[in-house]
Amino acid sequence: MLVEFPFERRYVVSIVRVSLVVSLTAVALSTLVSVPLALAVGRADFRGKGAVVALVNTGMGLPSVVVGLVVLFAVSSDGPLGTFDLVFTPTAMILSQTVLATPVITGVSLAAVTSVEEGVLDAAYALGGARLDRLLVTVKEARYGILTGVLAGLGRAMSEVGSVLIVGGNVARADGTSVTRTLTTAIQLEARQGRFGLALTLGAVLLALVLLVNGVLLRLGGRRV
Amino acid sequence: MQRAVRDRRGDATDGLTLSAATHGFGAGPVLEDVTLSVRPGETLAVIGPSGTGKTTLLRLLAMFDRPDEGQLRLDGTDVWTRDERGRLAARRRVGMVFQEANLFGASVRRNVSYGLRVRRDWPTRLRAWLRRKTGAPAPISVTDHLSVVGLADAADRNATDLSGGEAQRVAFARALAYDPDFLLLDEPTSDLDPRNTAVLEEAIDTAAARGIGVVVATHDMDQAERVADRVAVVLGGRLIEVGATERVFGDPEDPAARRFIRGELVY
Repeated sequence: MLVEFPFERRYVVSIVRVSLVVSLTAVALSTLVSVPLALAVGRADFRGKGAVVALVNTGMGLPSVVVGLVVLFAVSSDGPLGTFDLVFTPTAMILSQTVLATPVITGVSLAAVTSVEEGVLDAAYALGGARLDRLLVTVKEARYGILTGVLAGLGRAMSEVGSVLIVGGNVARADGTSVTRTLTTAIQLEARQGRFGLALTLGAVLLALVLLVNGVLLRLGGRRV
Repeated sequence: MQRAVRDRRGDATDGLTLSAATHGFGAGPVLEDVTLSVRPGETLAVIGPSGTGKTTLLRLLAMFDRPDEGQLRLDGTDVWTRDERGRLAARRRVGMVFQEANLFGASVRRNVSYGLRVRRDWPTRLRAWLRRKTGAPAPISVTDHLSVVGLADAADRNATDLSGGEAQRVAFARALAYDPDFLLLDEPTSDLDPRNTAVLEEAIDTAAARGIGVVVATHDMDQAERVADRVAVVLGGRLIEVGATERVFGDPEDPAARRFIRGELVY
């Protein structure tokens, strides 16, 4: 047997819970920021738009270790968020994953928003749509692209190791349950300690989770696959 | 052909009127000093070669753009002097169908009911949305609107599955569904086969008979002769002739209009 139950069962469940809570919260926050940002940049004409798009696209490749370091500094006692005592907490991990996922969701959503045909928005205008109605049409027409962005952001968040290791510290309680240990950081730890069976099991769980969450999001988005 | 006299809905001040309008997009005016009016219940054809400013003219009438000079008046009021709310109310009395169908990626029912839905207040819309999410039947029937264009059974089809002709007919039903006072059609049949063209021309007649003022921009002079009460000839961004269909086609006053109508004008 690869995993020694029941100890590993509690261990695995707590890791899965932390992974899901951190990643889903981060992606939800990122989506709240990214979609309005993509709409604002995608539908407006302003000076420096090209530079903003380039910045967003550059952000899609942000090195996670660098993000982890910056967030660690921000939440450390000398940083601007030092008073909140967030070092090695799930909140700090959410913060770093939000920073990592936001450019991904914004970039993909931006591409989707700008690809909405002008004629369809003209139709909404001609049919009596107000400004908000036309924005809603934009979101609706771009929904599959936006959903792809959310899924890409989720993929980035759930597979993340470097920044969560730095800001979360991979902490577990004395009974082995996770405080800031995620599936990815646990895999890294178990593999380093030579427990390849458990590491592989955690890897399989991670893959199954990503598949499950993607399936649920696709279903909610009404995408025909 | 002399068309039957129709029961007009308004008096002489009613109508959608472009007055001394000039408009361009940077490199000189596309339209220059155009004055043109459409009244409730009449069909006005705007003819002219491609690129002569017909679409710009329709977009000014539909309030997409504010004319650089001149006015757009709806029932005597300059719409561009009104605030955004007033202009939205004015826009909602005018519908437009484009050369492309430009349907939303949704069902035919959702497309046709769009104009009706955006006219509701937000609490009503939110309640309707919640009802839809819980699987309640659609509160807005679109069958009557679709039957005008011969697609009464198409409500539940996805708009992306329609043929080009069907899509354009749905676009027409969508613009008529909220009963606008004026309907602007920009080359609505240029990509359609004769059968779909005949269906749409019949729908144009039906709309005008309901008292809707219709403007059709077309380069198909046979179509203009078939559907219009009056014809306006636009050449090089200027309105060079406007009058009753029979008179303009039978005896145009302007020499350039005469050459264009006879097919002699090379452009």
